[in-house]
Amino acid sequence: MRSIWAVAANTIKQALRMKVAVVFIVLLVVLLGALGFSATGDGSLKGRCQSFVSYGLSLTSFLLCILTIVVSVYTLTSDIRDRQIYTVLTKPIRRFEYLLGKFLGVVVLDAGLVILFSAVIYTITILAPRFYDASEDERARVRNEFFTARAGLKPAAVDVSEEVEASYERLKKGGQLEELFKGMSRKEIMARLRKQKELQKRSAAVGRELMWEFEDVKPLDANESLFIRFKYDVSVNPPGYLVYGRWVVGDLRQIRYGTGIETPIYQYDRRDLIRTFYEIEVPAEAVADDGYIGVAFLNFPLNNTTVIFPLDDGLEILYKADTFTLNFIRASLVVFLRLVFLAALGLLSASFLSFPVAILVCLVVFFTASFSGFVLESFDYMSEDLSGVYSYTFRPLIRLLPRFDRFNPSSFLVSARLLSWVLVAKAAAFMVCIKALLLCFLALLIFSYREIAKVTV
Amino acid sequence: MEYAVETFSLTKIFSDWWGRAKVRAVEDLNLQVRHNEVFGLLGPNGSGKTTTLKMLLGLLYPTKGKVVVLGGESTESRISSRIGFLPEESYLYRYLTARETLDFYGRLFGLKRRVRKMRIEALLDMVGLKAVANRAVGTFSKGMARRIGLAQALINDPDLLILDEPTTGLDPVGTRQIKDLVLELARRGKTILLCSHLLADVEDICDRIAILYGGRIQSEGEVKELLLQTGKRQITTGNISDAAVEKIRQVVASEESEIEVSSPMEKLETFFMKTVAAAERQSQSTSGALVSGQISGFLRPDVSVDSVLDKLVSADVSGSEVWGSAETEAVDGDKAGSGVAEADEQLLERLTKRSEPSEPKAVVSEEGSETKPVEQMGAEDEQSSEDILDELTGDSKEREADKHQEGGGERGGDA
Repeated sequence: MRSIWAVAANTIKQALRMKVAVVFIVLLVVLLGALGFSATGDGSLKGRCQSFVSYGLSLTSFLLCILTIVVSVYTLTSDIRDRQIYTVLTKPIRRFEYLLGKFLGVVVLDAGLVILFSAVIYTITILAPRFYDASEDERARVRNEFFTARAGLKPAAVDVSEEVEASYERLKKGGQLEELFKGMSRKEIMARLRKQKELQKRSAAVGRELMWEFEDVKPLDANESLFIRFKYDVSVNPPGYLVYGRWVVGDLRQIRYGTGIETPIYQYDRRDLIRTFYEIEVPAEAVADDGYIGVAFLNFPLNNTTVIFPLDDGLEILYKADTFTLNFIRASLVVFLRLVFLAALGLLSASFLSFPVAILVCLVVFFTASFSGFVLESFDYMSEDLSGVYSYTFRPLIRLLPRFDRFNPSSFLVSARLLSWVLVAKAAAFMVCIKALLLCFLALLIFSYREIAKVTV
Repeated sequence: MEYAVETFSLTKIFSDWWGRAKVRAVEDLNLQVRHNEVFGLLGPNGSGKTTTLKMLLGLLYPTKGKVVVLGGESTESRISSRIGFLPEESYLYRYLTARETLDFYGRLFGLKRRVRKMRIEALLDMVGLKAVANRAVGTFSKGMARRIGLAQALINDPDLLILDEPTTGLDPVGTRQIKDLVLELARRGKTILLCSHLLADVEDICDRIAILYGGRIQSEGEVKELLLQTGKRQITTGNISDAAVEKIRQVVASEESEIEVSSPMEKLETFFMKTVAAAERQSQSTSGALVSGQISGFLRPDVSVDSVLDKLVSADVSGSEVWGSAETEAVDGDKAGSGVAEADEQLLERLTKRSEPSEPKAVVSEEGSETKPVEQMGAEDEQSSEDILDELTGDSKEREADKHQEGGGERGGDA
């Protein structure tokens, strides 16, 4: 253990004294400073905060990723190229201990840098609004919509498969399939029918009511607000593109069962533009003690159109579930997890490749991982033609990559969404416990059996 | 475990990427290095010396054959903790200082902090780099890097010392010091395997040698036996008269042999050492007269090394074998063939005498550099005159502990 730490400490000294890390640190400090002034977003205080956090964290993450790749590859390849490894490995240190020492060194360095830069970004984000001239209204908005960590709950999807099946059979019997869906496969027809049915469940005909029920709503503080975020769509455009609606929010079971009102129920009559996001602020005390809340919408007859709430983002309730600080810490943690993965990747590639080649391999993996969602989608799209070949060759390989874009921490902070511990744990499990561990294991295997002094030309 | 190092038909073939054999670097090598001997592996460039050493150390894997080092494989921790290795060039971390370098390697051996600290100071002193101990190794000259490389090979007090071209890049003084050190270590029971193509160095210090060419042993044996010209005899005399020479010539002629008469030449190395020692002595007396402790940065390391070597030499009062020490020389002075050339003994004597005035100076100048072990050593120096190698060697661990207590008590008394 002592010798592992010795190698780790030496690795950190190397990164700092050989100026590899120093260059990145200076660059990052300068850029973050400049960003503090230049990131204005849409000009509002909220936009300012959002764009700084977004750019600052993304930039830090990006540069630290590159730094990790460079340091982890450099530390091993330079030892081999300059042959210091001869004097190290002839000492009573096993090869896996040496490699673990290198890994530990890079990870400890990363931890230090993530803490440093997170602290810098956090401080600037917290302090910046104080020096910015903004109205009280704007400040309240920043408090409610930026300096918070809101959990979002969307209505659970309704199971419509039986209805879809029935309707398909009905159409088939009636011989209408050919007429309605010309030249489509069964699969495609089913998909269409499914979407129709699902939209039906999310639309309120004229004069009708829609109701959603949510459970497990746990606002951090009952004195705070919760927000209903919605967007109307319509079958026929109403005059002035305006929809009149009544919203009733609270423990609606009290009305249904007539148990008497214990928690308050709030009612809002509103007039809103279609296809635009709105948020209704509701006091959080409307949530029942057991975490239940019901939301009902009444489509006033005067609208004279069916009101539809789009499937993916038509309706959502948001509530403050945690503080901005904790959310920020978790975001930094996700950045750190990326770095741990990259350190393992760097050491693996350096265990058998020379410096430039190893760097290239790592960069390719890094960028592919950054767009892994896109890569997977495009391969899935292609796969309809070459499914057999693809699903057994490329897909498992691409699945091996971490999904940096899926766990993009800055998007959570910008929209003030809760980055839950569960999600962080998931990222840790996938990126570190499975993938990074696998890479480390491979690196150990290769490194343990290679001839250290072998000269390859 | 008869041999410290033994190889069994060791073969190394370097092949290209496609697996085609390209170079037969070592072929069917059977090497035996006995315990407690200085073994030299000689050969021209590319004869497979370094490849052999790398296979001994597990840095290369043999294509065929087997290596046994100290009764096991050198990659095992229990074996590698008893080996010291100095590679052909000192491959060091350029950004570490000399002291940090030694500390790093000490940690790899899992040495305790106290032991590490003590050994580091002792080794720095021995290789003469104390004055530059806090300078990055990257700024060192080749010779200085070599010295620190040697120090790292000794930090674990190895039983087997493997030296690859130990004297390359060193000036004659440094070369001489390394050779003396090797002899001294051998006297203390260490086994030393060195490879070199500097024949003069090998001749001076090796008990046995093997000459490699093309990856095979061409010749092997004891240096004395190999070099002894059995058909000839040499007579060395004092400055006798021409008449006496003529008489001898007649005697030789009656044996039906020929005689060649000339004045013996001094070895260039010996001459060089004498000259440097004389120059040093002079500069010291002048600086001593002016100010105290103002020794030039360039000469300083050598000064302290000499003092250490003196300590090495004078400490072993009980030592039965006599080797260049000033007081024992008087006893053995008339024995002409006592192992070391007479000139060398003179030189050592000179170094010993010269370093006496220099000693307190070194201590004075080092008192400023706050490290405790230095003070401690300075104090011991006068009292018990323990030497640094003793501190390093495992068998004197008790003494080490005693010394530590002693030093502690002393300091306590002072306070």
